[in-house]
Amino acid sequence: MKLSELAANKHGTVKSLGRDEHFLNRISSVGITEGAVFQVVKNDRKMPMLIYVRETLLALNRKDCEKIEVSEVRV
Amino acid sequence: MNCIALLGQPNSGKSTVFNQLTGSRQHVGNWPGKTVEKTEGNYFFHGTSYTVVDLPGSYGLSGNSDEEIITEQFIKSGEADLVCVLADASQLERSLYMLADFVLMDHPMILLLNMMDVATAQGKQIDDKKLSEKLGIPVLPFTAADGKGFDELKTLIEQEMKAPHRPISKPEIAGTAKANADQILSGVKEKYSWIESLLEGVSKSAGEDYQVKGFDKLLLRPILGKVMTLLVILVGFLAAMFIMAPFMSVAGMLPGLLGKPIADFLTGLHVHPWLVSIFSLLIPNTFYFCISMAAFVFGVNVVFGFLEEIGFLARAAYQFDGALSKLGLQGKAVAPILMGMGCTIGGASGTRVMDNWGQKMLTMMVVWAVPCASIWSVIPVISNMFFPAWGTALVCLGIILYIFVLMFIVSRIFGGKLVSENDRSGMIMELPPYHKAHWKYILKEAWIKCFDMFKRALRTVTLVSIVFWAFSYSSSGNVENSLLYKVGTFIEPVTKFFGMGWRTFMAFITAAFAKEAVLGTLNAVFAGQDTVANIAFNASKAGVDKNALALLMTQTISGAEALAFMFAITFSVPCLMALSTTYKESHSLKWTAKTAGFYIVAALILSCIVYHIALPFLG
Repeated sequence: MKLSELAANKHGTVKSLGRDEHFLNRISSVGITEGAVFQVVKNDRKMPMLIYVRETLLALNRKDCEKIEVSEVRV
Repeated sequence: MNCIALLGQPNSGKSTVFNQLTGSRQHVGNWPGKTVEKTEGNYFFHGTSYTVVDLPGSYGLSGNSDEEIITEQFIKSGEADLVCVLADASQLERSLYMLADFVLMDHPMILLLNMMDVATAQGKQIDDKKLSEKLGIPVLPFTAADGKGFDELKTLIEQEMKAPHRPISKPEIAGTAKANADQILSGVKEKYSWIESLLEGVSKSAGEDYQVKGFDKLLLRPILGKVMTLLVILVGFLAAMFIMAPFMSVAGMLPGLLGKPIADFLTGLHVHPWLVSIFSLLIPNTFYFCISMAAFVFGVNVVFGFLEEIGFLARAAYQFDGALSKLGLQGKAVAPILMGMGCTIGGASGTRVMDNWGQKMLTMMVVWAVPCASIWSVIPVISNMFFPAWGTALVCLGIILYIFVLMFIVSRIFGGKLVSENDRSGMIMELPPYHKAHWKYILKEAWIKCFDMFKRALRTVTLVSIVFWAFSYSSSGNVENSLLYKVGTFIEPVTKFFGMGWRTFMAFITAAFAKEAVLGTLNAVFAGQDTVANIAFNASKAGVDKNALALLMTQTISGAEALAFMFAITFSVPCLMALSTTYKESHSLKWTAKTAGFYIVAALILSCIVYHIALPFLG
């Protein structure tokens, strides 16, 4: 599923970040990498998503969230 | 030559370290051939001078942005003897990514673990000695904003200059240049597993869920959060007014206190009236004007410095990212734009937080469209002369609506040239944990900006006010004997087309110097009692009899002209110092001139449209 489809307070792991090199460099430098485990903190309509990964709270715009494939992890 | 370069991710406190090391001994220019800002400074320690270079770059070094290429070339040139890599101790795993990229360059370096105060408050323990052993370079735990450990840092730098250390451990990655997607993915994996192995036994991540706590529960809500953000900013403005009020009122006494004694003294010496007027009116007024402006800049910077440091501005950026991306801007632009509501100068210098030059320049151009606080002290006064209270409310509403139209026009015309498609990528930003404010640092930074503003204002305003004074000097005291009147009436047929007669057009010109000068100028040109120069740079409204002026103005000009005039002054060049600050921040004469030219032309066109639409109704 897409990251943008995961509701608040769910946990997930990153499956794929796509092939766009510019995006890959940008997104991995803030700690989102394939295999990384994260928590969705906020997922409100028309707002950037808030993701907690590697002890960091990140704001990610929705368009990029649609490019990220994740799968839900039940804790 | 002892040269130290600083490298770190946003929010790692790099600029705090830079500012604390160099104080006001800074120089900002451009990297050769690039529109990327180069910030350099220096400090003395034990009688030796050290140069500090702030290296550009955002979260890592493996992208191919201008910033990253510059940093790589600078390191390879060997100019830097030592590189200080900064990491945020409270988010070590992620913020060591910059180090993971940088160790590949195999250069003498030290690692600063900044924001130890935040990490300690979170209950995190970091074994810096063990980290240092693993890396083979010195590691210094540190809290830059409290200003304490700097002697230790300078001593360490001194030692490392003599006996430098290079990293003994690095991620196993072959060349990073022009990597394809697969290489990037495997490189990233390798870098993070290197970081994980570094942190083994050094620090433990809590592994707990993130809880939205306290104020964030309100601030991160979609609609309520926006309302709260605006409320906080509003309170911030009130605080800024409170901070600057004492300075302004003391400075406001200068013209009154100094004017007459100087005039009496010089007249007693039989000095020419020209010179008397310069020393007794122009100079005290210029001083008053510059001090008030510097006080404004101080107040706005203290408030926004505080909001930035505690982490509030990052949340504001999150709230308004959606709206601003429609203008081609990042969410971060929200701070300068809101600062512009207080003072355009503050807003223009606040664009320093933007990621790159194009974003910064576009934000400055957008900030110009926001009417500052001074204009709101002028518009209702003029509007009340011509229209009833509901009419004034409509005028204000019209102005507010046009702000958005103008922002949109600016972003359409200039956005494409300034911000490339690649840089338009949406928000990827960290929301830092709330920090405690370090007041000493905030006040010091605001003071440096305020003093710099004062010096620049004094130079520019003195020069321009002398020119303006000469144009408007009138031996008889009547405005009709001045050069300004002759030029004004000569070009009146042209300005009439744009909706303004020579009187309002003259006030339109002074409004581009300072909005505070508008009422004084109107008084001079309509009542003809005083020379324009005597009043133009006197930011005080004292001496303007509003009722008498209202009577004269309504007899002389139409409601349509007044309306056109109000729109024209609100959306023209904000003030002389906003222009000067835009030049200082952009380092581009071309773009500063483009901005000023665009705003003057756009104001005239707007005035023309408003006048011709309003004429049948208000004629």
